[in-house]
Amino acid sequence: MGSWVVPTASLLGAGWYFATCLILGVFVGQWVDEKTGLEPICTLIGIVVGLAVAAVGGYRMLLPFIRKVSYTDPEQG
Amino acid sequence: MKVLKLIGGIIAVAAVLAVGLYIAKGPQPVIIVPAEVLTTIGFLNITNTLLTSWVVMAVIIIVAFVCTRSLKLIPGSAQNFLEGVLQFLMDQVEEIAGATNGRKFFMVVATIFLWVICNNWFGLLPFFNAIGKSEDVNHHIFEMIHEQDEEGTPFEEGESQGYWVMENSGNWTVAKPRAESGEYEIETGDTAGQATDRYIVMLAVQFTDFEAPEGTGPPSVETVEGAMAALNADPLAPKVHLVEAHAEEGEEAGHGEEAAAESEHHTIPSEALHAEVESVTFPGQTIGLVIPFFRSTFSDVNNTLAMGIIAFIFIEFWGLQALGFGYLSKFFNLKGIMSFVGILELLSEFIRVISFTFRLFGNIFAGEVLILMLTFLMPFLLPNVIYGLELFVGFIQAAVFALLTLVFATMAIEHHDEEEHHEGHHDEDAAADAHHHPGAAQAH
Repeated sequence: MGSWVVPTASLLGAGWYFATCLILGVFVGQWVDEKTGLEPICTLIGIVVGLAVAAVGGYRMLLPFIRKVSYTDPEQG
Repeated sequence: MKVLKLIGGIIAVAAVLAVGLYIAKGPQPVIIVPAEVLTTIGFLNITNTLLTSWVVMAVIIIVAFVCTRSLKLIPGSAQNFLEGVLQFLMDQVEEIAGATNGRKFFMVVATIFLWVICNNWFGLLPFFNAIGKSEDVNHHIFEMIHEQDEEGTPFEEGESQGYWVMENSGNWTVAKPRAESGEYEIETGDTAGQATDRYIVMLAVQFTDFEAPEGTGPPSVETVEGAMAALNADPLAPKVHLVEAHAEEGEEAGHGEEAAAESEHHTIPSEALHAEVESVTFPGQTIGLVIPFFRSTFSDVNNTLAMGIIAFIFIEFWGLQALGFGYLSKFFNLKGIMSFVGILELLSEFIRVISFTFRLFGNIFAGEVLILMLTFLMPFLLPNVIYGLELFVGFIQAAVFALLTLVFATMAIEHHDEEEHHEGHHDEDAAADAHHHPGAAQAH
């Protein structure tokens, strides 16, 4: 069982990581907008930052699996 | 013959469904997301989910006590059962975390698993969400409008209050089959007076044959007067008691005492009737809600959040314990790009709490709503299927929560093991690399 539990746990976390980063980015951006009155700018920045963090973090989480696949593929086929 | 049996079976199932639909159809559920408060002791609100968790706690303690009261080398059935459960958990934990770490993590992981699964399965017992005390919804609506009237501003957000038509209020109640349900809605921008008008119309629609005209705006004067007439005509319908809206003038005229006595008694204004509503009395049926005594513990987000925080604290504690302050260097360092990666790592630690919280809450709350809704739509047979599914979901969620805690804990201390490998056992590097977690893989 141990062989699949650890990868499964990482993959279970990846989706949440992606979603939460985006939501946090949007909400922080909206909050800053409300405080400063710069209406859409900070929300847009928040979305971009959230997306960037989600992409980089998500990529890092998936990296071991990408490596594993590219390493094992030639062997199998 | 086969065809006859098949047709007979279908007819039997249809008959059971029809009988259920006609006789035992549940009231349309009023879904309330936060846990309902049963009573308040000091500053502590005793909610129904808290009460459930106490009962489950007591059950677990009693079972553990009874099963381990007289431990024998050749176990009896009770001891055997408990040993079997723990052995199963122990095997899983040791397989993932290894023998030494497994024993360290076992207590917390097994506690989480048993606690979550007991609560989830306990929440499927039939008296959950059915038996409780009844809550007077009329009182709530009255207070809501009164508070807005005191502030003197229109409602900023639309409010709504679900209710059932009930026979009594203030006692132990069972959610009665076929109870009528309804919803009282206030729209954004309504003044307290318009909210009162809506309330009068809602009562007339619910308790008499009165039909309100279609439309979204506040009710017109004719509609409210018609509703009042309909309520007064029916002896069993609720009665709206009005007083003349001249309390303020009386105060000005110098009847200070009288006005003070009057203001102690809450009244709410009606815009269409130009009068104050003193009270609403219910000669026949009243409007209320069953506040269940028991509700599944993890259908309350506070409880899942508490579990998430506990798991988080233990994971960080084990990480610190294994690596000392070196553990923190994973998150805080000043090595160029790695400092950004550290922030990502830190973020993912906290996001785990959120995912722990909402995964469990979402699954259990959704299951509860699904069962309530299906009991309303199709009382017999179909909910039983969903109960089976919920048993499975309860087990899976407990396993996921416990296993994730275990895996994250293993990851938190894994870095330590790697460093040891680098110091001495180079030949074991390959084996260790095979079990690299994502963070560690990136660190190299």
